[in-house]
Amino acid sequence: MIRLLVLLLAATPAPAQDMKVVPAAVFKPFFKGDSTATAVKAFTMDTKAVTNAAFLKFVSNNPQWSAQNIQRLFAEAEYLSHWTSAFTEGLDHQLANQPVVNVSWFAARAYCQSQGKRLPSMAEWETAALSAPVDSRYQNTNDIILDWYSRKMPEGATVGSVYRNQDGIYDLFGLVWEWTEDFDRVNFSDDSRNSAELPAGLFCGSASIDAADAADYATFVRYAFRASLKGNYTGRKLGFRCVKSL
Amino acid sequence: MLKIISLFVLLSLLAGCVSKKEEKSDCCTQKKDTKIQTKNDIPGLSVYQIDMAWNTQDNHEIRLSSLAGKPVLMTMIYTHCGYACPMMVSDLKKIEGLFTEAEREKFHIVLVSFDPDRDQPARLKTYAETQQLGTNWTLLQGSHDQTKALSVVLQISYELLPDSSIDHANSKVVLNRQGEIVYRLNGLSTDPAAVATALRQEMGD
Repeated sequence: MIRLLVLLLAATPAPAQDMKVVPAAVFKPFFKGDSTATAVKAFTMDTKAVTNAAFLKFVSNNPQWSAQNIQRLFAEAEYLSHWTSAFTEGLDHQLANQPVVNVSWFAARAYCQSQGKRLPSMAEWETAALSAPVDSRYQNTNDIILDWYSRKMPEGATVGSVYRNQDGIYDLFGLVWEWTEDFDRVNFSDDSRNSAELPAGLFCGSASIDAADAADYATFVRYAFRASLKGNYTGRKLGFRCVKSL
Repeated sequence: MLKIISLFVLLSLLAGCVSKKEEKSDCCTQKKDTKIQTKNDIPGLSVYQIDMAWNTQDNHEIRLSSLAGKPVLMTMIYTHCGYACPMMVSDLKKIEGLFTEAEREKFHIVLVSFDPDRDQPARLKTYAETQQLGTNWTLLQGSHDQTKALSVVLQISYELLPDSSIDHANSKVVLNRQGEIVYRLNGLSTDPAAVATALRQEMGD
């Protein structure tokens, strides 16, 4: 009996992901057309992106989220397509500590909920991402982003390998893009009464006019990328991490 | 390096323009690839895959899949909305007006609230009465979580603002009998006849 208990305990959850506090801040939206600055309350955030190993555990416990069972409404066909059978059978540990990618918004959200957490709002994610790097080869986050955009993304990089910021959170840039709860927020303009259209200026030519800082290409690319997503989309370089309200 | 970055940005801009156009023409065509079907034969891309309980204006608990069998004209609103939502409801009434009484029994009109805290069933009931909505109209309220999931599926994005108003897109969609999105119309006071045609195509005889 005791033995069974020990076994059960051993089989239950992997060590919980480390989380750090992101202090309260006022988030100023990137696009002027967006509603004015919003107050972001302090929250805790996973220090690292969710790994393949952690996501595999989630899928094992929640088989409706396996590549085999998932419905197309919730994830397109490429969902978890980088997982080899060797990995899912626990024979290959190479993927284990790499960030999970090829996950949809629905799957990412379900994972966070299973941990008693949630996906960050865009304002929360952007607030966390403002924190400057420490102990790294980069001067500031923009350096990281520009370096990241201008080279081929490294294959096989593990979570925590790019940089740590002043809040103790790793790799908000330089590893993978990350889902936010309201990724679809930029899909409509501020004045919803007039139009539900994508703000055309966001994409075509006149783009930079509405941006808070026209020189901020790096940020612009990130917003444009988010705006191109749908809830069941997956991407080879698109992962996520979770947060929790304080 | 800057050159590379600029090129990247330019490419993503172009991609943005192109994909946007594409989206307009084929946003609602379903991929034929529906190998994966659930036990109840709900297609993989059906909105009815969202398997959650919702409350109706009559305080009945239903799942979206209970709408299956008839096409659905669906949108999202909230009852404290002063301007856009009454216009949306009036749009839907215009569309409904293009059908005979008998035909109206052959489809559902569904309004899902963005605002589950305030739009409790009783409130929805009052709204339906004030707006004189017919018996084929269903008003739904669910949790914040499922409301958000549905909005992402329908691509009707919204944001709850601190002043308790809601910033939201105005789109209506037509679902076929299995709950797949077959038609979408963005904006208000736009072509009711086009929506009616899309709906009629799904109604059969």
